[in-house]
Amino acid sequence: MTRLVAWFSAAAVAAAALVGPLAVRPAAADVKVGIAFALSGPIAVYGTPQRNGVQLAAREINARGGINGEKLVLVIEDEQGKKEEGINVFKKLIFQDKVLAIIGPTLSNSAFAADPIANAAKVPVLGVSNTASGITDIGPYVFRNSITEADILPVVIRTVKEKRGIKKVAVMYGNDDAFTKSGYEVFRQALADNKIEVLTTETFAKGDVDFSAQLTKIRSLKPDAIVVSALAEEAANIMLQARQLGIPDSVPFIGGNGFNNPKLFEIAGKAAEGTFVGGPWSIEDKSPKNVAFVKAYTEAYGQPPDQFAAQAYDGLHIVAAAIEQAKTTSDREKVREALQNLKGFVGATGPFEFKPNRDAKQDGKVFIVKGGKFTLFTD
Amino acid sequence: MVEWLAAFWQTYNTLVYLLFTHAILALSIYITLNTGLLSVGNAAFAGIGAYTSALLTMKLDLPFPVCLAAGSAAAGLVGLAIGLPVLRLSGVYLALATLAFGEVIRVVFLNLEVTGGAMGLNGIPPKTELWHLVLVCAALIYFFERLRRSRLGRTLDAIREDEVAARVMGIDVVYYKNLVFVLGAMLAGLAGGFNAHFTFFVSPREYGFGPAVDILAFAVLGGTGSYWGPILGSTILTLLPELLRFLADFRGMVTGLVLFLVIVYLPNGLLEVPDVLRRAWRRGAKP
Amino acid sequence: MLAQQLANGIALGSVYALFALGFTLVFGVLEVINLSQGAIAMFGAFFALVAVTALGTGIYTAMALAVLGAAILGVLIDRLALAPLRARKAPHLAPMIATIGITIFLTSLAQGLFGAQVSRFPIGLVPIRIFEVGPFQVTQLQLVIVAIAAGLMVALLLLLNRTRLGTAIRAVAESPRAAALLGIDVERIYLLTAAVTGALGGAAGVLIGLSFNAISPFMGEPILLKGITVVILGGMGDPKGAMVGGVLLGLVEVLSVAYLSSDLRDAIAFGLLFLILVVRPQGLFGRRQARKA
Repeated sequence: MTRLVAWFSAAAVAAAALVGPLAVRPAAADVKVGIAFALSGPIAVYGTPQRNGVQLAAREINARGGINGEKLVLVIEDEQGKKEEGINVFKKLIFQDKVLAIIGPTLSNSAFAADPIANAAKVPVLGVSNTASGITDIGPYVFRNSITEADILPVVIRTVKEKRGIKKVAVMYGNDDAFTKSGYEVFRQALADNKIEVLTTETFAKGDVDFSAQLTKIRSLKPDAIVVSALAEEAANIMLQARQLGIPDSVPFIGGNGFNNPKLFEIAGKAAEGTFVGGPWSIEDKSPKNVAFVKAYTEAYGQPPDQFAAQAYDGLHIVAAAIEQAKTTSDREKVREALQNLKGFVGATGPFEFKPNRDAKQDGKVFIVKGGKFTLFTD
Repeated sequence: MVEWLAAFWQTYNTLVYLLFTHAILALSIYITLNTGLLSVGNAAFAGIGAYTSALLTMKLDLPFPVCLAAGSAAAGLVGLAIGLPVLRLSGVYLALATLAFGEVIRVVFLNLEVTGGAMGLNGIPPKTELWHLVLVCAALIYFFERLRRSRLGRTLDAIREDEVAARVMGIDVVYYKNLVFVLGAMLAGLAGGFNAHFTFFVSPREYGFGPAVDILAFAVLGGTGSYWGPILGSTILTLLPELLRFLADFRGMVTGLVLFLVIVYLPNGLLEVPDVLRRAWRRGAKP
Repeated sequence: MLAQQLANGIALGSVYALFALGFTLVFGVLEVINLSQGAIAMFGAFFALVAVTALGTGIYTAMALAVLGAAILGVLIDRLALAPLRARKAPHLAPMIATIGITIFLTSLAQGLFGAQVSRFPIGLVPIRIFEVGPFQVTQLQLVIVAIAAGLMVALLLLLNRTRLGTAIRAVAESPRAAALLGIDVERIYLLTAAVTGALGGAAGVLIGLSFNAISPFMGEPILLKGITVVILGGMGDPKGAMVGGVLLGLVEVLSVAYLSSDLRDAIAFGLLFLILVVRPQGLFGRRQARKA
């Protein structure tokens, strides 16, 4: 029994170490915003550019004198892309760091677990990459600036049908991931609405690297186009293997938000040419805000931004704008109201405001891959 | 002090809940390990418990204890169904069969309509409270303490030490193996049910290969010489990532290293540390 | 379409087989389930990637370096983790968990060193050429992969069956004590086995990276699960079984996508695994008693 006592006292010391930071109170006037992204584990691929995006935005805000003259302080935590970690991090940010608002988490899965915590504590939370349906239904404190697949994909399908006259397509999607699965649901509806025939629907799983079986089947059905709901790495791989298996370049790929990432060309190279991509943002967009963002980001991090970085960057600017209008360093309710009523904001992703249900109100654009770049599709 | 405690509780109550549910999971694998069965299907059983109880809460709004019990029972029933064929295997074969079973269950969650597929179930009302978990864990500790000295406990020890000898002595080995397998499944299902009711959300990826391995690590890190070992192991592996938050990207390296060092240099888990220290101290005292 | 799918299945299966070969060899000789084999493959792929991108070597030189690096890694793991456990005659659960710890460590290390993103070999490292052989349409890459995998498998079989060293390895696999009585340096054999299995894992990692263009710190786990399936299909510790099992799994996966549904692919693969364990735990081709483990 004595050794048990020894162990539990060790555990108590460990618990005390957890609590230590509680005693440290921040300088009263700083504006604290909590950041919860997946910074380790497989999801860090998306969380890291998000962190870069908000840090860049924070430097810009503080360089121009902060928010209403107060310094903006980010409290950045790693939620690992796990639901329990998402909850733990949110609680730490809310009850220990006492942040004014939270940006994150990276995955919709984590948002379903963590956002109810923020909502119950009446802390505004802004998702910058959560696109699953039902996120903002969690409650009145949950916002997102990431436009969902439901806003983008129907536009893409309609545009490509009008301009290219596609009649029959093959569909591929990742069936074990909330993002790619919900993208698929939207695609299916949009294809039905546009009376486009679906020859076959093939699935794959996260971590899959070989798609030749599905693609061989698709090749034999001779579709006009291949509609894919996947993240950029998998999509690029699918494209490469499709071309290697002899699916001709005249059969384009069609995708959504997930494709909108420079990784697509880095991995797929020429195989990505002619791909149609829907999204709110393009690195090629020449609006002054976006040109400045792309330049500053590339200088700061030595690589071009992706959509995750752009939406996170805009996300912090949106929160800062709301706090500025709310004129507070501590009243979360005022921040929530200011977010809801935000008007006239223009960021790297263009003009932005929230819908009454706190989803993003922004136009989806259709891009085509030409010469290794996303260019606005016009012809 | 009261204010400090309240602030602590607000921030860390989920972590505390996790300590308890992980302890239940660790005990769920301990009960099979203690009988010499290496079963790593407990993440899948936890998933069955989580989905069953969450669905009952959400669709039928049944009382929480009923949902928990149903989740646990569902896991136990599935355990009973696969136990009979699988428990004929021993050693690593049993481990691999239960691993494969776990993957099949995960794919089933992914493809069923009622489980929400890859999207999982969200909006599960939070119902788990600290006293539920304290009560269950206290009951379990009482159970394992009684088991240690009971006839049943000695029977299980006998099967672990030498299955053939146990059979010769007239012990119905198949019956007892199935008994502990089903008990382990039920405990895991219970832990899954509790977890679903404080995390708002369940999805198939929480019940795959990785979590199965985590549960095994709980037991082995702490040591399986006594039921306190798995509890200690789960506590450390749950707290470690929080304590190591400052290490950021390299957290995983420390966790992996700790696990590896303990296995290699402390064969009986962390429970052995005081003994090792005492021996070292004695050696030092009498040169 | 069937012919093409069979070609796909064989290419996929030969990678599985190569990976499973290392896995099954450790089990056969050391009676250890080495769950770090996936992480070794991952590091093999990264070694080759670094050789190609930083040192500017060709793919074959890179592959040789990767195999060497992975062999050293395999030996390190054996010395640091498995050897002390052997010396203590720890139950077989211990090395399995130790290798889980190593996997977590190596995955995290790789993420720190190379980042979490997916990398790939430069395009055109193996020229993209397509051959029409009868009804088959095969890429040069697929041919290279099958050739390398087959070559390594034949080399391993020759090593095991035609050399003194191979005889010694098989003797140790049968009974370490008897082998020691016969004057075989058992620890040396263990060390060599670790090197060979590491090398096989590394080679498999490079081939996976080459054929599927996806090198990441997290590539080890899926291939590990496939490896486990293959080894059970073919029988634990049986090199020939691993080869046949690997190709079989590749074919089962491809054909279930082609003729059933891609949704069911993993359920079929793992269901098959579960079924075989229950009905025929010694594997499809195994002779050994399951009791032995």
